[in-house]
Amino acid sequence: MIWRYRIAFLGIVCLFLLVITRLFYWQVVKAQELSLIAQNQYGTTVKLVPQRGEIRTSDNFPIVTNKISYLIFANPKEVKNIGETSAVLSSVLGVDLASVSADLSLDKFWVPIKSAVDSKTKQKLEQMNLPGIGFDSQYQRFYPEASMAAQLLGFVGKDDQGNDKGYFGLEGYYDRLLQGKEGLAMQVNDAFGRPILAQTNQTSGEVDGSSLILSIDRSMQFLAEQKIKNGVETYGATSGMVGIMDPKTGQILVMAAYPNFDPRDYSVYSDDLYKNPFISDLYEPGSTFKPLIMSSALDAKVVTPQTKCNICGGPVTVSGYDIHTWDDKYFPNTNMIDVIQHSDNTGMVFVAQKMGLDKTLSYLEKYGIGSTTGIDLQGEVSAPLRPKNQWYAVDLATTAFGQGISITPIELLDATATIANQGVEMEPHVVSAIEDPSGNIIKVPPKVVGSPVSSGTAKAMTEIMVNAVEKGEASWARLKGYRIAGKTGTASIPIQGHYDPTQTIASFVGFAPAEDPKFVMLVVLNRPTVSIYGAETAAPIFFDIAKSLLGYYGIPPDQNN
Amino acid sequence: MVHNEEIESMKKPALFIGSLMILVLVLSVVKIFISNRVATSGVLLGIIQEQAASLKTENVLLSEKLYTESALTNIDSEAEKQGYVEPKSDFVLSGQMPVAYKQ
Repeated sequence: MIWRYRIAFLGIVCLFLLVITRLFYWQVVKAQELSLIAQNQYGTTVKLVPQRGEIRTSDNFPIVTNKISYLIFANPKEVKNIGETSAVLSSVLGVDLASVSADLSLDKFWVPIKSAVDSKTKQKLEQMNLPGIGFDSQYQRFYPEASMAAQLLGFVGKDDQGNDKGYFGLEGYYDRLLQGKEGLAMQVNDAFGRPILAQTNQTSGEVDGSSLILSIDRSMQFLAEQKIKNGVETYGATSGMVGIMDPKTGQILVMAAYPNFDPRDYSVYSDDLYKNPFISDLYEPGSTFKPLIMSSALDAKVVTPQTKCNICGGPVTVSGYDIHTWDDKYFPNTNMIDVIQHSDNTGMVFVAQKMGLDKTLSYLEKYGIGSTTGIDLQGEVSAPLRPKNQWYAVDLATTAFGQGISITPIELLDATATIANQGVEMEPHVVSAIEDPSGNIIKVPPKVVGSPVSSGTAKAMTEIMVNAVEKGEASWARLKGYRIAGKTGTASIPIQGHYDPTQTIASFVGFAPAEDPKFVMLVVLNRPTVSIYGAETAAPIFFDIAKSLLGYYGIPPDQNN
Repeated sequence: MVHNEEIESMKKPALFIGSLMILVLVLSVVKIFISNRVATSGVLLGIIQEQAASLKTENVLLSEKLYTESALTNIDSEAEKQGYVEPKSDFVLSGQMPVAYKQ
C-alpha cells in the first residue's frame, strides 16, 4: 500500500512543480511583456515633444516661430478602394501615385504617406472622408520673413535619431536652449478608451524651449539685405555682405549676406550657402586694416598725426620685393593723416617699420586679430597669427596695408568698433535677452573685452578717418552734412601663391556720427567686375545704407559739415 | 462604588473604537459616492481636452496668418503692387530764414 501513497504523493509534487514552473514563466520570464500589454489596455503613454523656442528681433517680432503641420498616414487594412484612394492622395498631396499605391497595399496597420502638410491641404483631405486615412499634428519651423537673415539664423534639421536639431547660426549655437526637454505623459482610459478623471495624467519632464530676443533690428536688416543684393547685382560681384554693430554695447544690429538660402527648404541649396560668411570666411582685408595699424602706432607713440614719411617718395623695396601704392602716385614727406587719406601703402610700410614686429603683434593681439571674437553664432573661425619666428620683414610690411594676413569680417568690424568706442573693445553679441517658457526674461549684459588703445588715440584716429572720408578717393560718395569716419579697402585675392590682379575684395568700413557713433558698418563685395575698387563699389553701398540709418535714428544733417 | 468606576473606565475605549468604525464607514460611503460621480466625468474631460487642442490649433493658425501679413517682406511686396516706390532723394528742412527783419 505504501508505494501507492508514494506514487500519489509524487504525482501531486509533480503537479505543483508544473504549476510553479508555469507561474515562474508568467511572473518572471514574461513579466515585462505582460506589463506592457496591461499598460496598453488601461492607458497610453505619449511622448511629449516640447515646442522649440522662438527667435525674435529687437521689436519682438518672431522671425522664427512654429506652425502646425500634419503627418498624413493610412491604415491599409481600413482602406476600401486602394486605387481610388491612391489617386486622390497623389493628386492632393503631390506624391508619386505608384509609391502611395504600394504603401496602401502593405500588410500593416500604419504607414506614413506625407509629412509637413499644411492645414489647407489637410482640411481638403478631411472633407473627402477617405476611410483609413488619418492626420497627426506636428510642429514645424516657420519663417514669416522668409529668407531674411538666413545665415544668421541657421536652420533646423534632423539628428541621427530623427529628432529636430539646429544647425549653423543661432539655431546651432543655442540648440539646447531652443529645443527644451522631452517629456512623457500617461493617460488612463476606461474600457471604451475614454480618459478617466479619477486617475490623474502623470506627466513628467516636458519643458518647452526658451526664446531668443535678438539685438537685430528687423527694419535695418531688411533695408541692408535689399541694398547689398542691389549692390552685388549692380557691381557684378559674386557675393556681398554687410554687418552693422552698436560700438557701445557690441550688439549686432544687422548681419546680411547675399546670396543666401531659404531655411524652409534648405536642402535644395548648396551647402556653401549655409555658413555665415561674416564669421566663417577668411579674407585679406586690404586697406580697411590700415586704421588698426595706424592707431596702434599712434598709441605706441612711434608716430604722431604730423609725423613725416621719409620713404614715401617712390616704391619701397623690402627684402627684394618692391611695394607700390595702389595708383602708383607718391607723396614725398607726406604726414600720417595724408597716408590714410591717400591709402598710401608706402606710408604704412614706414609706420610698420617704426613700430617693429613685437609692438605690431602685441597690438594686433590686443585688437583680437588672430582669435575668434566670441560672437554667439555657430561657425565662427579665425586664422591664428603666425609665431614670431615665422615673420619676415616683408610680412610686417604687407600686414601694415592688410595683405598677407587673413581675418574674418567680424574681426575687422569689432576692431573698428573699438576705435568708435573710445578705445574700448566690446564682445559682439546677437542675442540681447533670453525668455524662458514661464516668460521670465534674462538680459545678456554687454561684455568689455579690453582696451587696445587709449581714448585719446581713438579720438585722433577717428579724425584721421573722417578726413579720409571727406578728402579721400571715396569722397564723391560721402554724405554731406554728416561727419562719418571710414576707410576704403581694395584687397587682392591670393590664388595659388600669387595675387590675381583682376580680382579683388572691395570693402568699406566706417562709423557715424563720428562724435557719438550710433553704428559701425562693414560692407564687403567679393570680386566686383564693374570696378575692382572699394571706393567705387563698396563705398557707395556703405553711404547709401548710412543715409537711411541716420534718417532712421532721427539724426539731422549739420549744415556746417 | 469602585466597581462602577471600573465599568465606566472600560466603556471609554469601546466608545472610541465604535466611533472610529462609524467614521470609517461614513468616509467609505463618501469615497464611493464621489468616485462614482467623478469616474463618469471622463467623457466631459475628453470633450474639454478636444476643445483645448482645437483652440490651441486655431491660435497657432491665426498667429501664423498674423505674422505672415505683418512681415516686412509681405508689406514691401504689397506696397510695390499698390504703386509705392522708394524715394530717390531726401530733402532736409534746415534753419529757416526769417520772413522779415526788424529794422
